[in-house]
Amino acid sequence: MAYLWSNKKFKGAVKKNPFHLKFNFREKTIVLLLFVAASLAIFFSAAILYTLIDGAIPFFEKVSIIDFLTGLVWIPTESVQLFGVLPLVIDTLIIAGVALLIGAPLGVAASIYLSEFASPRVRSIVKPIIELLAGIPSIVFAFFALMFISPFFVDNFGAGYFNAISAIIVIAIMIMPIIISISDDAMKAVPNHLRETSLAVGATKWETATKIVMPAASSGIMASILLGLARGIGETMIVLMVAGGRVGYDLLQPMLPMSGYIGRVATGDMPPGLSHSAGFAVAIVLFIMAYGINSLGARIVLRIKTRTSVKSKKLEKKKNILARTILKISSVFLYVFLKIGSTIKSNLGKIRKFIRKDKLLTLKERYWKQRIGIGLVSSSIIIAFVFLVVLLWFVFSQGISGINLTFLTSYPSRYPEKAGIFPVVMGSVYLMLITMVFAAPIGIGAAIYLNEFARDNGYTRFLRRIIQNLAGIPSIVFGLLGYLFFAHVLGFGMSLLSAGLVLSIMVLPIVVVATEEALKSVPDSFREAARGVGSTRWQTVRHHVLPNALPGISTGLILSLSRAIGETAPILFIVSYFTKTAPSGIMDGFTALPSQIFYWSQHAKPEFHVLAASTIIILLIILLGMNAIAIIIRQRAQAKRDW
Amino acid sequence: MNKNKKVEDEDIHKHRGDLKLENVNVHYGNNHAIIDVSMLIKEKYVTAFIGPSGCGKSTLLRCINRMNDEIVGCKTDGKIHWGGINILGKDVDPVPLRRKVGMVFQKPNPFPKSVYDNIAYAPRIHGIRDKSILDKIVEKSLKNAALWDEVGDRLGDSAMGLSGGQQQRLCIARTLAIEPEVILMDEPCSALDPIATAKIEDLINELKKKYTVIIVTHNMQQAARISDFTGFFYLGKLIEYDKTKKIFENPREELTENYMTGRFG
Repeated sequence: MAYLWSNKKFKGAVKKNPFHLKFNFREKTIVLLLFVAASLAIFFSAAILYTLIDGAIPFFEKVSIIDFLTGLVWIPTESVQLFGVLPLVIDTLIIAGVALLIGAPLGVAASIYLSEFASPRVRSIVKPIIELLAGIPSIVFAFFALMFISPFFVDNFGAGYFNAISAIIVIAIMIMPIIISISDDAMKAVPNHLRETSLAVGATKWETATKIVMPAASSGIMASILLGLARGIGETMIVLMVAGGRVGYDLLQPMLPMSGYIGRVATGDMPPGLSHSAGFAVAIVLFIMAYGINSLGARIVLRIKTRTSVKSKKLEKKKNILARTILKISSVFLYVFLKIGSTIKSNLGKIRKFIRKDKLLTLKERYWKQRIGIGLVSSSIIIAFVFLVVLLWFVFSQGISGINLTFLTSYPSRYPEKAGIFPVVMGSVYLMLITMVFAAPIGIGAAIYLNEFARDNGYTRFLRRIIQNLAGIPSIVFGLLGYLFFAHVLGFGMSLLSAGLVLSIMVLPIVVVATEEALKSVPDSFREAARGVGSTRWQTVRHHVLPNALPGISTGLILSLSRAIGETAPILFIVSYFTKTAPSGIMDGFTALPSQIFYWSQHAKPEFHVLAASTIIILLIILLGMNAIAIIIRQRAQAKRDW
Repeated sequence: MNKNKKVEDEDIHKHRGDLKLENVNVHYGNNHAIIDVSMLIKEKYVTAFIGPSGCGKSTLLRCINRMNDEIVGCKTDGKIHWGGINILGKDVDPVPLRRKVGMVFQKPNPFPKSVYDNIAYAPRIHGIRDKSILDKIVEKSLKNAALWDEVGDRLGDSAMGLSGGQQQRLCIARTLAIEPEVILMDEPCSALDPIATAKIEDLINELKKKYTVIIVTHNMQQAARISDFTGFFYLGKLIEYDKTKKIFENPREELTENYMTGRFG
């Protein structure tokens, strides 16, 4: 070997080219595998489309599409069945719209406070609280709404036991973190020189924030609101548990949004036959709405990120017609929403003029305005904080008495005092492992391909969009995917495997985004240096990029898994509540923590509600533990890193 | 199989001599960054590329070890003959090429590893596993890069803890470890203070005894001090190329003279 490195000169003419390009089998194989991992997203999207269409075909054989889309009456279970989807659409829009009317101002206000006024210390306290709020599974919100908020409306406003307003309130709080984090990013991205210019001409901080920063970040704020709206439209567990099962238009009474109906199909409330396959037809409408609004929002976010690139402008022209149509449909709703907002705003101006005739504000008045403004925007954070505290306090006070050794080691039972969650915890643990086994290689592989190997061509952009849009698909649609495609078409049955696959696809975009961020954080100079000394592309990634990105990747992976095990709706069809034993193989039936919470909160006996709360405590402890691990990894990596 | 490998290895250590650039053109998208450059770069001399910012000197440098391949949308035409091979040819693999044409970048870019691992990295990926050989390579490279006296006793420390000048010499040592014939330097001193710069310049003077050195520099005094040949570039064209002494004392082109006397640039 030493010979290899001796600088012995070779005498005589050598015809052979020592730099000859050889077929590097290992390198090509790895790149091919990464390419396949990234391309699987197309297969998953196709499977979702197949599921929706295949499931809805029996329905549309009996009911015409026109009647379905224009019908004003939805009676799925009577002897005369009527399937007009409009009432469901209207209920969906009412719930999501009102939730947005509450959540969006709160979220935007909180993000103004965080980005413009909060000191770094306050920020470092508030940000984790917001993340905590974002990490709470929707089943927990649903439980809180049903057990705490709903009774309040029943007692004070004569609401029904199931009512829309309780669902709306928790959905509003649930979409706050989405709006806060994206708006905050958008406002943080506003260049500082704009703020400085504004302050330099004598504006107060409040005037700078509202008149300079907010308009400059308006498209990001708009995107955050759209993404929050998409989330509200797709939310299933809260409306399923809290909003009741009847179409209605009174906030204090039950409402039946689209996701609620599909959820009812999933839980077996609907008899097999037409009302069952109607779930798929409804899912198509829900899918188009949520997908359209979400991709519109995601596109705005993307445009902000690549504002300077000339290429994206060229692409604008090439948008295909289908995507445009979807966007147009979704923008109609947006328009109505904005119209309402602008009407209110213009009237506000009149009111303001009425109160105070046009006059110059004195400096004192301007400071008062600033004080009141900051007070208002910071109070939105207090609202979120109080909500979180009350929620946690309520769950703990309800459930702590139910936690004991029997509860942790026994099996679910008809008798509350004997019931336990041992197989349920095992179900969740197995589910997490299976999800990791699929999501980690596919997600990390796809991200490596996209970030390190893919050329910027049409196919790559298509892949990116497909992966990103997976994130906008309502969770209950993933439930249909698992039920029809994995359980029946592929024949995996109501098993851990089907559920794990569904959850892996669902968290795939999160894993990809987190991995890409981690890869991007590795400076290009490392890549350049490695390539400069003759590493191949894969060697560069393997030796320099991955080791440095590893903490970020594992943090992202843990957070995605914690998201996965908190999900109820995607496995709503698949879980078997009456499993008596812990699963022993991937083809076994199972039940998971969120599903058990759902089952017990629906139970007639209040003793089981205590068990549901106890189970929530266990679930929250597991989630908190995973988040803590992720934070520790992140901090240790930051402390260790010297670049 | 083994015998084949030996022949190849001997091929790669063959002495190749001068680099002959022939009508090299580089396009970045619509931007014609290098226009029809032809020049002969003599072996075991220091050749400097000078010219105002954006004149394409770095781009041309990066052609020689095909680093431009890494940039999306960059297209290179023309030929660079080296030891009977056109290294811009489609059949040339940049990975083994870079073993013989090393590169030192503008900003010191050590890997976030120990000093030892920084230098041993490239020999390792090229197949050396024997610790004693690696030790020798590390020592020899550090000595050749005039860094052994300063870091020889702390090879296990992170390279990120070195000073800027030490980091840059480490990057040079890292390049020397793979026994190149040509060393490309892209403004290697622009991020360094005058003392560190002087050390690097001394080192370059040493290096030219064994290696062909091509250096891009903004600093004309530096070009005058260290180079034997100088090429002056302007707007992607090679305006003038001659012995450094001639370029600085008696340039043929008016443009060169204007640049030298600071009338533009």
